[in-house]
Amino acid sequence: MDQNRRNDWIWFGSLWTAFSAVGFYLVLGIDLLPAQWAHEAEVVDDAYILLMGLSIPIFAGVAAALLTSLLRFRVQVDGTPTEDGPPVHTNRNFVRLWVASTLMLALMITVNPGFIGIAELRGEPSADIVVEVQSQRWSWKVNYENGAETFNQLYLPADRRVRFDITSLDLVHSFWIPAFRVKIDAVPGRVTHLYVTPEGVGSFEDDFNLRVQCAEICGLGHAQMAMPVTVLAPADFDAWVSDLAEGA
Amino acid sequence: MRQLLRAVIFGILGYLVGAVLTWLVRGGSLGDEVCVVFGYVVGLVGWLFGIGMGDTWVREWFGLPARESEVTGWKRYLGFSTNHKVIGIQYLATFIVVLLLGGVAAMIIRLELAQAGEGILNADRYNQIMSMHGILMVAVAVAAILGSFGNYLVPIMIGADDMAFPRLNAVTFWLIPPVAIGLLAAPALGSFDAGWTAYPPLSVVNNGGQILFVLAVTTFGLSSILGGLNVITTIVTMRAPGMTWGRLPIFVWAAFAASMISLLTTQFFAASLVLIAMDRVAGTVFFDGAAGGDPLLYQHLFWFYSHPAVYVMVLPGFGVVLETITHMSRKPLFAYKAVVVSLLTIAGLSVIVWAHHMFTSGMAEYLHGPFMFATEMISVPTGVIFLSAVATLWRGRLWMKTPLFFAMIWIFQFLMGGVTGIFLADVVTDVSLHDSYFVVAHFHYTIMGGMIFAFLTGIFFWFPKITGRMINDRLGIIFAVWLTIGFQLTFLPQFWLGTNGMNRRIADYPEQLEGANLFSSISAYFLGGSFLLLVYILLSAARRGPRAGDNPWNASTLEWQVSSPPPEHNFSGQPTVLGHPYGYGTAGSRHAEFAGVTTGGPTPPEPTGAGEGGDNE
Repeated sequence: MDQNRRNDWIWFGSLWTAFSAVGFYLVLGIDLLPAQWAHEAEVVDDAYILLMGLSIPIFAGVAAALLTSLLRFRVQVDGTPTEDGPPVHTNRNFVRLWVASTLMLALMITVNPGFIGIAELRGEPSADIVVEVQSQRWSWKVNYENGAETFNQLYLPADRRVRFDITSLDLVHSFWIPAFRVKIDAVPGRVTHLYVTPEGVGSFEDDFNLRVQCAEICGLGHAQMAMPVTVLAPADFDAWVSDLAEGA
Repeated sequence: MRQLLRAVIFGILGYLVGAVLTWLVRGGSLGDEVCVVFGYVVGLVGWLFGIGMGDTWVREWFGLPARESEVTGWKRYLGFSTNHKVIGIQYLATFIVVLLLGGVAAMIIRLELAQAGEGILNADRYNQIMSMHGILMVAVAVAAILGSFGNYLVPIMIGADDMAFPRLNAVTFWLIPPVAIGLLAAPALGSFDAGWTAYPPLSVVNNGGQILFVLAVTTFGLSSILGGLNVITTIVTMRAPGMTWGRLPIFVWAAFAASMISLLTTQFFAASLVLIAMDRVAGTVFFDGAAGGDPLLYQHLFWFYSHPAVYVMVLPGFGVVLETITHMSRKPLFAYKAVVVSLLTIAGLSVIVWAHHMFTSGMAEYLHGPFMFATEMISVPTGVIFLSAVATLWRGRLWMKTPLFFAMIWIFQFLMGGVTGIFLADVVTDVSLHDSYFVVAHFHYTIMGGMIFAFLTGIFFWFPKITGRMINDRLGIIFAVWLTIGFQLTFLPQFWLGTNGMNRRIADYPEQLEGANLFSSISAYFLGGSFLLLVYILLSAARRGPRAGDNPWNASTLEWQVSSPPPEHNFSGQPTVLGHPYGYGTAGSRHAEFAGVTTGGPTPPEPTGAGEGGDNE
């Protein structure tokens, strides 16, 4: 390999390293994700950061190859070009290696965070409490196990696994709690389920992402179809829900 | 002009006949959706009859000689022309206008979103403008490259004098104006506000404008199917002697793969829209959960087309970009055969990944894993496209004119779209990101980055061929840089907005998100401004650009061996194809020769290395 070709690769390698370093610094150094208020949020964010970590060297590699090409292979042309590049039609081994590595990478992320993440996120289909949520243009009605009912307010106990049974009376809506990182559509004619284990005590006043937001377009009030979420300590929640049921 | 006027009159008459007959039969009001449906269908027939089908096919059905249009000059572009180059330019001009219209809608959207709370639009008006922006831009993405460059270039590139079905080709284009009229007339019936995806039950219970959306988009689908059929037949049957499948320029392969998808999947979208129309006007309950129907049925049918449609949009883009890169870095396309296999593999895989749009829809959970797996697999053939693009550039002789500049930016843009797509293919992260602004940012990188940037690459690369004039290269590069910077500043913040709790399709959002939204809105106006420069560049070059000559890029494929613009029937002598389309660097390599013409090949440049013959891959 002559000096010139070696220098091409040195340029590429240096740029790749530099871009990757900047990328990793940005991803790991800056907190891009909002606060986590549920066990599920940790699973989702871990998957997000793993995928980011894998994407950075790929992205940096292509960007480095582009910049190297721009800096080292451009030619000044007067009129029409008179010189061709080398007649390289392919490099079978390199193509095979490329396909094998992208295939490996694709399989790898299908397994983790793919299948492993799904198993972690879903967990066992068992719950400490069941909360029924009924959606209708453009509001939410919440029923707790003891008959207590709230309208456009959701109260949850911390550290207990909650199963939501979600229905819709009219259109497709979507039950999304950004602070928990989970969502499921509310579909007329069926009951959909979502499992979540809230962590930490707080309310919409502490973090605006502690809210249920409709995420499927449903007409005029779609943007406003949201309700604040309040996570209480388990004992406080028990007291609150039985007070509410008795008052009803 | 006469044809166009006749078409408008017959269209209106047809509409009145259909609507009034329906009204007489069933009573009610003339504005009822049933009357609109039958009016539209009869009006569409009247329009097609008036524009030229009456002069050609219909006369022949009755044993009369066809009356071919003899209009010349610029008026050809306003009539029923069967010439593939005229039709290509009709598509090009139409979809540049639609692109700009959709862009105006985008500007209105970003103005509303610059601040939390209700701004210039109320929520209803916002949903309507957002839906209009969506469907206009989807139409541009589906048809702009395939309709314009597919029509203009595929026949020339394979050495044919026209498409296989020239009249069908004209009909394919003239189906587009009724689509535009249908969509733009929707406000008369109260507009449509269900996004371009038109999920029921919303799209069954909303304003009457939705029925015009259904009719217009179904018509567009018909145009797409007929266009795909024509491109495939042309490539299969019209290749010049010696133009084997292994010698097709890569753009032709890309158009072939994309056309396969439009031919085979568009009817699923049409079917789902027809079911919506029936739920609206015929009292069926396909999507009514309470009555035993299922809203998820629509989503499956819809995405069975609409995910492959993404590849109808970007595969021709791959073709344009690879074509530009190989000619302008003066190297053979790297791994030609692997790229062809990848294009066909993507077309095949595209029909088994649709439910990755439905991970949070409530469909059965056992479906999540297989669709995630199939979706991740698409990254392998797509990776080969990236490899080919980058490896063709590597050690090439990069002639950094505007087209190559755009092609290289395209690699960056589409990579960004592809990598962020993995987050949405993965079930775990998608449960959080689905229907958020992360998705909005992602598909603007893939569709605007992957398709519009390729469209612009193609415009700058083939402008000299189509008009015979050169564009101002300095302004072209300023435009590329301006657009690219504006694009990043607009859409990068939207990834952050999505992960931080902003859902899509909303006129209002929590005020905590105001900073990033304002930044994105200001950047969007910066981005939008760059298109004024594009319009100036194109118009000024078309009027007074320097003469381009036949082959300004000294490129090897057939379209560059004829005059600019090409003669009426493309070639003065029958072309015979002799070898690989990209014989750069190989001494004496020639792609084609012409019967009775001694010159016409590219000036054989000095080879820089000894190489094997051009046909080995």
